[in-house]
Amino acid sequence: MLAVEPLRGSSGEDRDGAMGSFSVADDDFANEALLEDISFADLFMGIDYEDVVPDLELDPAEIFAEFSVGEEHSGSTTAGETAEGTLGVDGASQDAVVAAVKEHNGGRGDEVMSAMTREASMVTPSRARPSLPDGNKGRTPSAAAAAKGSQGKRKAKVDWTPELHRRFVQAVEQLGIDKAVPSRILELMGTDCLTRHNIASHLQKYRSHRKHLLAREAEAASWSQRRQVYAAGAGAKRDINPWLAPAIGFLPPPPAAPPSAVQLFRPLHVWGHPTAEAPLVHMWLRHLAPRSPTLPWAPQPPPSPPDPAYWHHHYQRGSREGWFPRAMTQGAPCFAPPLPTARFPAPPVPGIAPHPMYRPPPPLETKRSNSQLHLDAHPSMESVDAAIGDVLAQPWLPLPLGLKSPSMDSVLVELQMQGVQKLPPARG
Amino acid sequence: MGESSSASYIRMVQHLIEQCLVFHMNKDECMEALAKHANIQPVITSTVWKELEKENKEFFQAYMKDQEEKASEMEAVERRIQKMLAETAAKDSDKED
Repeated sequence: MLAVEPLRGSSGEDRDGAMGSFSVADDDFANEALLEDISFADLFMGIDYEDVVPDLELDPAEIFAEFSVGEEHSGSTTAGETAEGTLGVDGASQDAVVAAVKEHNGGRGDEVMSAMTREASMVTPSRARPSLPDGNKGRTPSAAAAAKGSQGKRKAKVDWTPELHRRFVQAVEQLGIDKAVPSRILELMGTDCLTRHNIASHLQKYRSHRKHLLAREAEAASWSQRRQVYAAGAGAKRDINPWLAPAIGFLPPPPAAPPSAVQLFRPLHVWGHPTAEAPLVHMWLRHLAPRSPTLPWAPQPPPSPPDPAYWHHHYQRGSREGWFPRAMTQGAPCFAPPLPTARFPAPPVPGIAPHPMYRPPPPLETKRSNSQLHLDAHPSMESVDAAIGDVLAQPWLPLPLGLKSPSMDSVLVELQMQGVQKLPPARG
Repeated sequence: MGESSSASYIRMVQHLIEQCLVFHMNKDECMEALAKHANIQPVITSTVWKELEKENKEFFQAYMKDQEEKASEMEAVERRIQKMLAETAAKDSDKED
C-alpha cells in the first residue's frame, strides 16, 4: 500500500515500527499515538499519496519537482526528482509553479495547487531542510506541509465556523484536554465533514492557544499583584522628605537602576520590532517616579511593566507567528469558547466591564497610589503589538469589553462619507 | 455564516479597538497602532471608533474622564521629576567649584 520511505534522519529510527503499521493496522491508532510525540510533518509523512492527491493524474513527484526547482523548470514536465529538499520557493517562482501545475492538472488540481502556494510561504521559513538526503524526501515535507497549510485536508476546505469550533471545544473539554484524541473528538462531534487530520491540526493549534492564554493570565495576575505592592509601599513612604535625602545619590542611580528596565527592552528591540525610542524614555521616567519617595538604594526590582511586556511579547510572538490567518475567513464569530482565561483588563467603568484583571485600581483609591500605578499602565509597543496580533490570529476570542456594536449600515455609510468605498477582506 | 466580509472586517476593527481601550489608549494612539500592526487605514479605525462612541456614550465618557485624570497625574509626576533632576544638577555644579 504505502511506499513509505524510511523517515528522515533524526526521528526515523523510532518511528519505523509505528509507521510500518500504517500499511496494516488501524490508521486511527497510528495517528493518535504519534500525535503526542511528533510534529505534524512526521505524521503526514506516512500518508499514502493516493490519499493526498487522489484525483490527480500526475505523479506527485512531478508537481513537487516543479515546486522545489522553481522557475527554470516551470515549463517542462520534469519527472525527475531533482528536489533536494530546499523548498525555497519565493513569491516569483511560486507563480511560475502555480502556472505549471495549472497547466498539468486543469481544474482538479486547483485545491492542491492553492494549498501548495499558500503553503509555500509557511513552508519556507519553517520547513527548510536543506540536508535531506534525496529528492523523494524533499517531496514529503511539502506534501505534508501542503496538506497542513490547507488546513489539514486534501480536497474540501474546512471552515472552522464558530459553531463547529464550539462543538470541538466542547468535545475536547469533555474528554479532558490531555486525553482528547482526534478520533474521539470526531466521534463526539458527530460530524462527517471533518477528517481526523482536520481535527488533529486544529487540536494542536487549540492547545498552543490555551497555553499562551494561561501563560498570559498568569503573568497578568503576577503583574497586578506587584502593582498592589508598589502602591502600598510607595503610598506608605510618601511622607518622608523625599527631595533631600535621595537628591544627592539620585543621579547615579538613574543610570544604574533604570537600565535594568531599559535592558529589558533591548532584547525586544533586537527581535526586529521597530520600537520607538519614546516608550523607552517614558518607562525610564516612570520608573524614577516610584523610586523618589523611597530610599534610592533600596534594591527594588525593576517595576513590573517591563516584565509582562517582555514575557508577553515572548509568548505572543511565538503564538502569533505560528498562527497564520487561515481559518478566519469569516472573521467575526459570535460564540465564546468556554475558556475562562479569555479575560482582559477592564477600564474603570462600573457596570460595563467584565472581571478586571491587571488594571490600575479604580479611581476611588487615593490619588497618590493611583498616580503610582497608572504610570505603569501605559502599554509598551510590544504588548500592544502582541495583543493586536492575537486578535488578528484568533478572532473567535470574545470581545474584551463587549461594547455595543454599532449598526453595520451606519458604519458603512459613515465610511463612505469619509471616502472609503471598499473594505479590505477580513483576513487581508 | 451570516456575516458578510465587510461586516466581519468591521467587527475585527471593533475587536482591535476594544483591545486598545483595554490598554487605555486614546483614539490617535489606537489609529496609529492599528495602522502599524494590522494595516488598517486610520480613517477606518477612526470611523469605527466614532461609531462605537455613539453606541456606548457612557462608557466613552467615563473613559475620557479617566484619561484626563491620568494625563494630569502624569504631568504632575513629570514636573516633579524635572525638578529633582534640576536640583541634583544644581548641586553637582555647586560641588565642582
